[in-house]
Amino acid sequence: MSKLLDRPPFAERDEEALLRELNDLSRWHLEGCDAYRAVWPRFTKAHSLAELPFLHVGVFKERIWRTGGEGITHQRMLKSSSTSGISSQIALDARSGAFQAQSSAAILKDSLGVDRSPLLILDHVKSLQQRGEVSARVTAAMSLRPLSTELHFLLRQSDAAESVDWELLRDICSKNSRLLVYGFTWMLWVAWVQGAIPEDVRAALQKMEVHFVHSGGWKKLEAAKVNREQFDRELLRIVGPGSDVLDFYGLVEQVGIIYPLCEAGYRHVPRWAAVLVRDPWTMQTLSDRQGVLQLMNTLAFGAPYHNVLTEDLGRVIEGPCQCGRSGQRFELSGRIPRTEVRGCANV
Amino acid sequence: MSEHLISFGGNVVALGYDLDERLLQWDVLRLKMVHGVPEEFTRDEWAYLVTFLDRINLMEMFIRSFGPRAGGGVTVSALFRARGPIAIWLPNNVTLLGPLALVLCSFTNAPIRIKTGSRSHDLCQAFISYALEHLPQGKLRDYLSKQVTERFDRNDPRNQTMAAEASVRIVFGSDATIRAIHSLPNPVHSVGISFADHRSEAWVEIAALDDAAITALIKVFTIYGQAGCTSPRRVVVIDGTRADCEWLRGKMMALWPKQEVAMHISSQNILHRQLAAAAGWDAQTGPRNGAVLGVGSLETGEMNGLMSLALVPATAQEAVVALPTNIQTIGHCLTDASAPAWLSLVARTSIKRWVPVREMHHFGAVWDGYNFWRHLFEEVAIHS
Repeated sequence: MSKLLDRPPFAERDEEALLRELNDLSRWHLEGCDAYRAVWPRFTKAHSLAELPFLHVGVFKERIWRTGGEGITHQRMLKSSSTSGISSQIALDARSGAFQAQSSAAILKDSLGVDRSPLLILDHVKSLQQRGEVSARVTAAMSLRPLSTELHFLLRQSDAAESVDWELLRDICSKNSRLLVYGFTWMLWVAWVQGAIPEDVRAALQKMEVHFVHSGGWKKLEAAKVNREQFDRELLRIVGPGSDVLDFYGLVEQVGIIYPLCEAGYRHVPRWAAVLVRDPWTMQTLSDRQGVLQLMNTLAFGAPYHNVLTEDLGRVIEGPCQCGRSGQRFELSGRIPRTEVRGCANV
Repeated sequence: MSEHLISFGGNVVALGYDLDERLLQWDVLRLKMVHGVPEEFTRDEWAYLVTFLDRINLMEMFIRSFGPRAGGGVTVSALFRARGPIAIWLPNNVTLLGPLALVLCSFTNAPIRIKTGSRSHDLCQAFISYALEHLPQGKLRDYLSKQVTERFDRNDPRNQTMAAEASVRIVFGSDATIRAIHSLPNPVHSVGISFADHRSEAWVEIAALDDAAITALIKVFTIYGQAGCTSPRRVVVIDGTRADCEWLRGKMMALWPKQEVAMHISSQNILHRQLAAAAGWDAQTGPRNGAVLGVGSLETGEMNGLMSLALVPATAQEAVVALPTNIQTIGHCLTDASAPAWLSLVARTSIKRWVPVREMHHFGAVWDGYNFWRHLFEEVAIHS
């Protein structure tokens, strides 16, 4: 399985092999996961990606899904960050983990290059040490590990973006000229743009090449009326020449697949993944029109999170991209809009 | 000032206003309401308000609470007068109940202070504004112009003021919310009226189901889905089979209204269909993913989701055993719902309302097991 990983992420796509692998993977989950089989009792074989059995992304907030089978050893639970109070929980396994690490490293190398440098994570080290579970933030940060020479956790408290350990940063700056910094979007803003950076550290950063990588969405910054241009501009104002900012989109329910924003403003799909856009009401697939994004990949064996219908809206863009990458690309538009639920009962 | 004493059998009610004039003014407003739906309301909500303001419906509240209206010559045994200021707490997702409660309480002529949910649309104020704009000059308009609706959260000190100043506290919400409000310092002789979270069901017999009945069932469900405490969360096909439930689901799907479905509702229904299927339900989504209809059994558990409706076969005895502890309304569509056997069955349960399916949402004086509206008045024993 996942022979598709043997080539670079944006090399020529093999749609036939992708469909074959996803069919096999779907059957694997149908055999190994009773609940998944109950959702799709009549599935036998898909003749197109659109026919493959998917799960709504919200199902992972409501129950734990696991697929049992030969070679599967379940490990820790991956938990999403949550603004609603309920986290998605993904049962990680060693076999998928190897593919997922290989996948994210390949995608990030494509965007960030192969040069390695210290990785600074906007989190506290104790986030790594939680027994039995791992956060989405740490997972996203760890996907950068293959590009790092050493790891540093920059925060004194895990959710307090303003608690940056400036002493630590001063020390790292004194020994390096290039840094990789990962954080949730709003945390990067609070820590670096709004943070009280000591003057000597600020002066040191002005000479450093810093590659900021962020994910986790814009909801908090939209509320603060901060847009992407302002975000990038303010971050880059602090650091030296050659620095850049990379925004990637990803879900814990698609761990291993990340979608960095390319230079032309699109998100590219690696050859071991696929994106469909569906009409929200009929579930018909749409081409070149906005709809609900469905994401799939060939990496997930321990639970049926290989094919998920998201609550995000987007549009698949046809034709070649100015950035030069081949294959599928899409535009992310935002979340499905919500309206108030009226009634009088607790639901 | 006249007390406007009105006799209902042996009960005399001191209203402090002319009842016929007030009924007439509500009716005037009702006739204006027919011409258009304000943007704050859905069509179903507005239609329900129009029906609710019908003079006969409003008068029924008096008759139900005090007896038939009477002329002279009847021995008076009790005098009723309004207790005084009323405070109403509406939770975040209660909307239409605000205007309905306002209308009911307006017949006490007492000052009303309404706290709406801090996160919900304030339909109560929207309704008052509409009434003030469309009512002719008169006592009802004057009265409504003095009533207060406010929006604040559970920690706001105004909760304490409301509780301290009210003779009657009406609280809609969770058990915890109700306990919190009633535990605020309040006048010793004040009355607390609680409308806690409840659930409702529809009990139907296949022989009693024609297209009109099934359409009515769909309608009471679709207004609020599971967010309505009087909406059916489950349809029990009495003495039916799984095949009967599948037949009913097919009919419901065919009769389902062709209406717009919010995008997130469609998405949530795909989610809830999958969760229901994983839990053992034979679940299908309706047109445009507007609802989830699941066929199963009483043992399958609950089908959760705002627009999820379970259909199960059961005997009446099995249905009684499976009733939720917080059951409120049973909407019936039975060949003979008035049969004594049903009444004696209801007597053994904690069912609060036994009404035809199409009347499940009909808010009235008797609610949650007692005549709360009568409690807005204090009773003076009269022995002449």
